[in-house]
Amino acid sequence: MADERAPQQQSPAPPGPSGPPSSGPRAQGGRPGGPAKRGKRSFVRRKKVCRFCVDKSDYIDYKKAEILAPFIQERGKILPRRMTGTCARHQRWLTVAIKRAQNIALLPFAAEL
Amino acid sequence: MEERQYDLIFILRPDTPEAEIDKVIATLEHAAAEKGGKIEKSEKWGRKRMAYRVQKLREGFYVYMVVKSAHGEVVKELERRLKVSDPVMKYLTVRLDEELKRQEKLKRRRERRAARRPRKAAPVPAAAPPPPGEQAAATR
Repeated sequence: MADERAPQQQSPAPPGPSGPPSSGPRAQGGRPGGPAKRGKRSFVRRKKVCRFCVDKSDYIDYKKAEILAPFIQERGKILPRRMTGTCARHQRWLTVAIKRAQNIALLPFAAEL
Repeated sequence: MEERQYDLIFILRPDTPEAEIDKVIATLEHAAAEKGGKIEKSEKWGRKRMAYRVQKLREGFYVYMVVKSAHGEVVKELERRLKVSDPVMKYLTVRLDEELKRQEKLKRRRERRAARRPRKAAPVPAAAPPPPGEQAAATR
């Protein structure tokens, strides 16, 4: 699922049969190729790829605040998936990591005035 | 019982003298050993700016530890000591062994999968040998 997504978007080789391969991972219960389908229906949107899927990370370390920092707003809120393109699974891990980091003052709960 | 692994981070007041920091670490190590646990690693991250003010201070001295133990008693004792210790401003214990196990599992699965099909070979029962997997996918 996670690893299937990344190669699919990296490989520009088969442009014609883009339909069948995208349905492949879904049949296996993997993550559906959401952005691609949306683009076909309405207009082409810049495809956002989950950063953690690209890196193939199996664990998001709460101790590395510099990794988590791009996923929070200036005010300290966690950015939603639709803004960052993170996949559901990684967003789930990410929120946990961010909340842990907040507890030990590596990330702010809310920006100070 | 299975051994558990925890991350323990605590923040000391930035004006704590080095000797006292070492003393705190030593007492924790001692306490862990007494309860049958072990501190596998202890790292001083040093003075860092905190994301928000704690006890009206903006900076703190971070110490990071990896604790291994078979039961929660060790953590309970360590946390109790951190609570009563004056220079400690904040601490956090996170149980990690289950997450590490999951990470390990995912990694193994990925490796297995990578070995089975090099790139993406959709439902092709026909034998697609590892190296020309790309071509097979392209011709489809």
